[in-house]
Amino acid sequence: MLTHLIILLDDTSTSYCHYEVTKAERRLIGIDDLKVGIRFAMKENLNVQFVFPDYKLPVEYLKAIDSIDHAKVMPSTCCDEADVVVLGGWDDEVLQGSTCIIRTNHDGLANHLSVVREWLNTINRLNVVLTDVETFKDDDVDSYRNTLESLTGMIVECYKSGKFIQLNLLTDRLRLTGMNNCNAGMSNITLAPNGCFYLCPAYYYENEADSVGDLKVGLVIRNQQLLRLDHAPLCRQCDAYQCKRCIWQNLHLTLDANTPSHQQCVVAHLERNASRSLLAKLKDNAITLHGGYEIEEIDYLDPFNNMNKWK
Amino acid sequence: MIEVKDNTRQWQDGTSKNITFIVTKDCQLACKYCYLVGKNTKERMTWDVAKNAIDYILTNENEYREDSVVWDFIGGEPFLEIDLIDKICDYLKTEMYRRNHHWFNSYRFSFSTNGINYHEDKVQQFIKKNHNHLSIGITIDGTELKHDLNRVYKHSEKGSYKDVVRNIPLWLEQFPGAATKVTISSPDIPYIKESVLHLYDLGIKEVNINCVFEDVWKEGDDALFEEQLTELADAIIDMDLYCDHVCSFYAEFIGKPMDIERDNQNWCGAGKMLAVDAAGNFYPCTRFAQYSLRSKPAWIIGNIHDGIDQNKLRPFLMLDRTTQSTLECIDCEVASGCAWCQGENYDAADTHTIYQRATAICKMHKARVRANNYYWNKLFRKLEMEDQQEEFERQKAKVKGTIC
Amino acid sequence: MEIRKIVGQVTPEERDEIQNLFERKNGLIELAKILTADNGELYEKLVKDMGDTGVKFQQWWDEKAKKYSWESHPKGNWEINFKTCEITLIANM
Repeated sequence: MLTHLIILLDDTSTSYCHYEVTKAERRLIGIDDLKVGIRFAMKENLNVQFVFPDYKLPVEYLKAIDSIDHAKVMPSTCCDEADVVVLGGWDDEVLQGSTCIIRTNHDGLANHLSVVREWLNTINRLNVVLTDVETFKDDDVDSYRNTLESLTGMIVECYKSGKFIQLNLLTDRLRLTGMNNCNAGMSNITLAPNGCFYLCPAYYYENEADSVGDLKVGLVIRNQQLLRLDHAPLCRQCDAYQCKRCIWQNLHLTLDANTPSHQQCVVAHLERNASRSLLAKLKDNAITLHGGYEIEEIDYLDPFNNMNKWK
Repeated sequence: MIEVKDNTRQWQDGTSKNITFIVTKDCQLACKYCYLVGKNTKERMTWDVAKNAIDYILTNENEYREDSVVWDFIGGEPFLEIDLIDKICDYLKTEMYRRNHHWFNSYRFSFSTNGINYHEDKVQQFIKKNHNHLSIGITIDGTELKHDLNRVYKHSEKGSYKDVVRNIPLWLEQFPGAATKVTISSPDIPYIKESVLHLYDLGIKEVNINCVFEDVWKEGDDALFEEQLTELADAIIDMDLYCDHVCSFYAEFIGKPMDIERDNQNWCGAGKMLAVDAAGNFYPCTRFAQYSLRSKPAWIIGNIHDGIDQNKLRPFLMLDRTTQSTLECIDCEVASGCAWCQGENYDAADTHTIYQRATAICKMHKARVRANNYYWNKLFRKLEMEDQQEEFERQKAKVKGTIC
Repeated sequence: MEIRKIVGQVTPEERDEIQNLFERKNGLIELAKILTADNGELYEKLVKDMGDTGVKFQQWWDEKAKKYSWESHPKGNWEINFKTCEITLIANM
């Protein structure tokens, strides 16, 4: 069921996820389209998330945006009143109690752990979005595992000092009892500056012709059932619940939106296993989480290789 | 002793790895129902591409653990490239032996040919050289009328029946028990019964016949189809042809409901096979090469230089029956035997996916089920009246190999 | 006049043994049509292999005939049906 509408306000709106913003020229969504989009959200009872560019918008836009309850996703270079700040790099300063996103490759994360430590001591929640999952190799497993171990240590220290920081890669899984995926096309849909709907911003930037409807015709999502978890044979029996199950990456790497690639599964399972390790360390430090569940020990990183046991 | 011939057992129970060389996209014919929309004379596999493909496959023995292999050659018309095929097969035999590859002890070379140049010297020499390892199917569509409805030469549009039928005796002499493959499209339906009986008259005892999966069917086709199959059933049973002839339309397992868990495996072998084309690209099946597709891009899973990208095979290997089927198909009371082609599913799908089952064949399947029920009811009643029922069941169990 | 008579049946495992040898034997025979002494070591390996396989092939028949005491005929030979594992005696009277 649709619950969220993401509105890209400009072709150069910041990316908050795996996709790159491939358009360099500013193009604001038409004010009429913005208003119609907001009206659509009201009628469909959708929560709206506006994704901002790195410049201040005209007053009439700000007025339209304020006509509905919403969340603002803004780049750090222009982030007044942001609900979520997309950090531009490791030098960015962060505000106390904020929610931030950092897009980085896994080497970048490994090389800036000290910065992450500082941030974790300041903000409420950090979402790390790995931008190089598609090229992740089996050779990278050890290094990413080590990175997650270091992050685990940081979180334990935070918790011990009474700061219950959230880090998407590690703490989300502690409390999940089921999949918490992106659900693009199922629970959320994106309205792009051209007035068309897309499964998510990644599809807009990859191919404008790949829309799923527009403000005149409405939503037209073909084979929507294939975006559901029950139509993903590999994912529906998996317990790496924190995985985003990115359908755009699926399509890129396996050519089918309901099937993840080997590297996506490996990365998700490294994180899942690190969450398990975090849970154990918290318990060792007499820190109990309410509502948390046990995470089983497993001997594989890719459930595809374990197929014989569950298929 | 009663014997009812059946064709349910394939070589090595169908567990062999199928590797297809698309040696050419050229063909003497332009069959009207052919799914190959991109046939041409230019794309012919070179020896270098074939050799590189073979070297890749045989070198990566650990990726191919099936006990047996079927090296399959298609086109277009494969025998237009008999020189290349001969060279490929010699290389395969030598290399499998030289490398002590486990497939040396269990392989076949398989061909599906239009039969037109079957008699030519080079083809015959190839057959003599490799006879014990060959599986050759000639496609003859039935009577001259039915065959020439669709199987016509590409420039003259003249029917090819005469040029094919003259090679049938030689083919059957060399491969007793060989089967033919017959394709049914909408215009062919009125000729099904006489065509199958005609093929039996030619000495072909196994007729594998199926309807195309594409959406070509018209109102009333299913009723006519059912009528033809029912009349054919009468002929086969009344003339005792069931003892030593097979028609794949009739099988005991067809037309039953299917359990959502126990009967959930995918029908089609796409993804478990491998196809390689003239450009050295790998595909999960030939049906995913561009020349087979009318509305989707090719599904390339790798090439002879970079090898296979296993990620691109994952959707195939995860595919099951229910995930790709509609609720109507899942709940269908006569689901068993309702086939699909993964390539056609992909080509006809609304999005870029193999998980949307094409159902153009639905009414035709249901018509077949009714005719099939009629066949087995009539046959069992006849066997019962002749006091042959027990013997039939006993022979059936033996043929399926459950006791031996 | 040819007579055919089912005289016995082997186990599936025994069938697999002879089928393997049969396939290998056929493979070697067909390989021998394209390899010559010019192929050096490979040819020598083939020649030896053909001998070895032939011996194993005959050994299988000898052993099973002794084990199962199949009916035989001076002008006949046995044949195995790989589907059914049955042994058929074929003799020309």
